[in-house]
Amino acid sequence: MSTQATNGRKESSGTFAVETSDLTKRFGSRVAVAEVDLHVPRGSAFGYLGPNGAGKTTLIRMLLGLTQATAGSMRLLGRPVPAERAAALARVGAIVEEPHFHGHLTGRENLSVIAAAREPEAHDRIDSALTRVGLSQRADERVKRYSQGMRQRLGVARSLLADPELLILDEPTNGLDPAGIHEFRAMIHGFVAEGRTVLLSSHLLDEVEKICDQVAIVDRGRVVMQGSIEELATGGEQTILIATSDDGEGLALLSEHRAVAVATSGPDGIRVALHPDVEAEAAAGDIGRRLVLAGLAIHRFEPTRASLEQRFLEITSRLEEAA
Amino acid sequence: MNTQTLTAALPQTRRGRRWSPRLVSAEFLKLRKRRGLVISALVLTVVPMLVAYIALVVLHANDPVNNGPAGGMENFVGSMDLLTMLSVGAAILVGATLGTADFGAGVFRELVVTGRSRLALFTARVPAGLGLLLPIAGAAFAITATASTVLAGSQDARWVQVDPGAYEFDLGTVAPSVSLLLASAGWLALVTTVSMVLALGVSSLFGSRGTAIGILLGWYIVVMPLLVGFGSLGSIREGLFYTAADRLAPEALGAPDPAVPMSLAAGIVVVLAWAALPLGLGAWRTCTRDA
Repeated sequence: MSTQATNGRKESSGTFAVETSDLTKRFGSRVAVAEVDLHVPRGSAFGYLGPNGAGKTTLIRMLLGLTQATAGSMRLLGRPVPAERAAALARVGAIVEEPHFHGHLTGRENLSVIAAAREPEAHDRIDSALTRVGLSQRADERVKRYSQGMRQRLGVARSLLADPELLILDEPTNGLDPAGIHEFRAMIHGFVAEGRTVLLSSHLLDEVEKICDQVAIVDRGRVVMQGSIEELATGGEQTILIATSDDGEGLALLSEHRAVAVATSGPDGIRVALHPDVEAEAAAGDIGRRLVLAGLAIHRFEPTRASLEQRFLEITSRLEEAA
Repeated sequence: MNTQTLTAALPQTRRGRRWSPRLVSAEFLKLRKRRGLVISALVLTVVPMLVAYIALVVLHANDPVNNGPAGGMENFVGSMDLLTMLSVGAAILVGATLGTADFGAGVFRELVVTGRSRLALFTARVPAGLGLLLPIAGAAFAITATASTVLAGSQDARWVQVDPGAYEFDLGTVAPSVSLLLASAGWLALVTTVSMVLALGVSSLFGSRGTAIGILLGWYIVVMPLLVGFGSLGSIREGLFYTAADRLAPEALGAPDPAVPMSLAAGIVVVLAWAALPLGLGAWRTCTRDA
């Protein structure tokens, strides 16, 4: 296997940390994951976003070998899974749903149990992993005395024992308080800065938007969109929010502009959606010039993009209508 | 954290390994830290032997005419009967815990995602369980053997008349021989090991500690003795662990008139089968179930 240095790390070859092709999982007649083609670029924070029951956890369980795929293929860190599962997972850390531990063992002992299943160097990483998640002081307490947040952090420490190139985190902020969530986000950004890839599954749009730079939206087992947050949020549609001294006249003027697809008036002003094929900057300049030439004073002229939430709801509601 | 680690070669060396001392050590850690389990195993094995011999010493000291010495063959054989039965109970507890602890705690999934083969995870449980169980059973045996030897009397084995025309064989109060002690220790280890492996396999198959313990206790205490007693079953009874283990027992410990006579080779094969079959089924279930 060839290696290449990325951001100070040596890692296996391949552009994508996770690749799936037509990946499908059926439980009887129910299709939990349907022909998913997923491409998670190395070094990215990738959000796998979808409502509860969309098949996110099932996909992760297939990637990690916890359940068998019904059809399709997948590769982790360039290696085919399940054919080279052991080698692929050697550099993968994961939290699947709620992290579980032996309550009668201490945090450190729980990590040593997992380290024993990994290569010998994993034992040497226990202390640094505990320090990184802020559990050094409580590492020798039994896990049954840990709070939910501490267990979550211990789960992250456990996933770091692999010195992972890829971290797969399934709903990782469940049970964390706001401070814990903030801390967790910073930790993820740190992992990505180190050149690691993070695949984060979540139903929380806000979480994905704040942590990830790439996203796939999944609904009823299918990936319905995939790309950068920027691409998905805009969806190719440019909008401008304009407030003038006379919005009525402004709306009439803008409705006839050739670059404008839709113009609607609201309490904030006129929301103008541009045609996807026009050059946004030039169109915005021309719209501003015409308003001024028409004698209107411009109070607000703000190019906007839809939030990921708006986009997500738009996509999923479209799917519901189609269904 | 060392972010310069060259990782390419490591997985290759892990892939071929079926088990490792580190995995065994981790399994052993999980077991020995279960205080309840360790105490239960001690209470089932070591404590009864201590209590029994202390009671025999007290009885002999108070009434030496009607109560013979605490040691000697007669009491050794009686103690071994009890210890074997109790060690099987301890083995069932340990084996059932081994087979279900990771599932029950939800940790099996976390072990699987390390990429380590499920078979390696399963097989590591056997030496780990024996590492806990055999020293405990060994300690109980050591008490029995020591007391039987140190507290022995001088009465040789003999036939004793218990009623007019009725005789009973009295093993006497002389100390058991070294060869008998060694053979008894080996036999106890064999029965305990097979019982633990059986419990490991059954509990892994069912995924439930309680179910496995219930089934095995019912099998050992009720079903097997009943089946041995059904003469109409004939030589089919040779397939029972009870009869095969009895065949392999040292002569002094085995039944003087076995209900199911069988060859030594058949006894060995049956005992091995009782270890291998449930172990294979447990391994298969562990390797194939959703984690």
